[in-house]
Amino acid sequence: MYLRAGSIKIIALLFLAGMFLTGDALAQDRVVDASCFHCHTRQVTQFEKSVHFNNNISCTDCHGGDIRINGSVVSIDVMSKDFAGSPSRVNLTTFCSKCHEQVTRKYEKSIHWKKVQEGRPQAASCIDCHGTHNILSSKNQASPTHLENIPLMCGGCHENQTKMQAWYYGIKTDRFDTYKKSYHYKSYLGGGKVLATCSDCHENHDTKPEADPESAINPANLPTTCGKTNCHPGANNVYVYGGKIHEEQSVNLFFIDVKTLVTYFYIIMILFELAFTFGLIFLGITSGLDIKGRKNHD
Amino acid sequence: MTELKFRRFTLNQRIQHIIFFTTFILLAYTGFPLKFPDELWAKWMIASVGGFDNRTLIHHFSGLLMIGVSVYHVVFHLIEKPRFDVLFNLQDISDFKQQMRYYLRLTDQHPKFGRYTWKQKFEYFGAGFGAVVMGFTGLLMWKPFEAMQYFPIGVVQIANLFHTWEAVLASLAVFIGHFYDEHFGKFPNISWITGNISAQEMRHEHTLEYEAAMKDQEPEEVTETSHGNNTGPVTMLAKLVFTVIFLAITVWMLWISYNVLVDAVTTYIF
Repeated sequence: MYLRAGSIKIIALLFLAGMFLTGDALAQDRVVDASCFHCHTRQVTQFEKSVHFNNNISCTDCHGGDIRINGSVVSIDVMSKDFAGSPSRVNLTTFCSKCHEQVTRKYEKSIHWKKVQEGRPQAASCIDCHGTHNILSSKNQASPTHLENIPLMCGGCHENQTKMQAWYYGIKTDRFDTYKKSYHYKSYLGGGKVLATCSDCHENHDTKPEADPESAINPANLPTTCGKTNCHPGANNVYVYGGKIHEEQSVNLFFIDVKTLVTYFYIIMILFELAFTFGLIFLGITSGLDIKGRKNHD
Repeated sequence: MTELKFRRFTLNQRIQHIIFFTTFILLAYTGFPLKFPDELWAKWMIASVGGFDNRTLIHHFSGLLMIGVSVYHVVFHLIEKPRFDVLFNLQDISDFKQQMRYYLRLTDQHPKFGRYTWKQKFEYFGAGFGAVVMGFTGLLMWKPFEAMQYFPIGVVQIANLFHTWEAVLASLAVFIGHFYDEHFGKFPNISWITGNISAQEMRHEHTLEYEAAMKDQEPEEVTETSHGNNTGPVTMLAKLVFTVIFLAITVWMLWISYNVLVDAVTTYIF
């Protein structure tokens, strides 16, 4: 097979171009990660899908240490300098606050962090909601912190009776179940544009208990919380009775609970209606049958 | 000789009926999926109207239209010519007793009804009660924050409870009771379109009214249509389709009633 000089030139050019392009790609591929990859394969594979990797964050940015080494040799210098290794649940915020300063300060006001400080390290910290190596942007639909995944993410702990009872006695585990009865949830489930999930009312990073005067769900702050522009505008300008949205609430009429009264009334009405309708259909059909040779109605 | 017919519904009443049942069906179709959001049929029904927000829009505007036609009905019939034979009276009790005796074969004599039978009065006032309950509770739920300026949140939750219960009760009454009595049993009953019923049906169902109307007529002047014209292939096919739809809706309504009742019993009684 003969190749003309022109063809050879073109092939050579393509080859060079290929070299150049792959070389460029390799140059962008972080050697630093490649060296960690030797031992920490799973972590690095997860990390390569994360939003941090896409923003040129490397292992050392969180874990510290020095991994600027020859890629073919596993470094023994890695634990030099400010190597921090794997964070504990108590010092985790120092890892994240290197970059996420403001949001960490916000988180440190939350009940979650307060509980960590009080010696309950199982309370939710950054990684429990955002994940560890595989952190995704909250705009990403696969992220646990994406708007549509928030109820499941919070429910993961708050709905789990074993976890909640083992950790902190007295936390109610029916919050997701009671949320499921609300229009907020039904609209969320149906894909409606008007919806509210956990963090819309409870805040995300600085979530606080109701008793805290700074809490978004403190009765004094509810008008602002509910009256957000896209939610119930106008609720913050007028007096609103309000109440606890997760709780069943009723009104007493002459010492009788109205909800129970209504329920009993309609249970009787519906049973009566069913018996009445089907009874009359049955009687109508049977009385129309010419059994004893009686004169039927028309 | 011409076929004798009786005017039962005026054009005004027929239009009211059409608006009322159209909005009723739309409200049930867009309302029940919200009560059972996790069910597959509910998701399918929401998708069939083009998503959750369309569902909400249809439900709200059907509700407003139903409130409108209900208010119009009351105002119009009070202004035009209030009639008192729609009200319950003692005759209805004896009619009911006699009908039960007839059903149980204690008598050969079926009660003779006037313009409105006791069952039709029940349906009429049931629909009226339902429209009032659904209208008021629906408005409270539509604008909860406006409602909470005047009532505590418990009242809004009670409105929600009323709305569900009354929806189930009204749908049972309409989709099973009313459909069976007026449309399935008398198929094809097109008096809701034409406004007329046949002399035979008139004599059969509303004997007293028929007798009053025919008091001055000579019997031989009148011909009556027979049931014979109801067995054409088109009619039979339509009846088959209607039967299938009727049974499907009945099963659906029984499923809903069962689940609502079980939920209530487990929440409030046990």
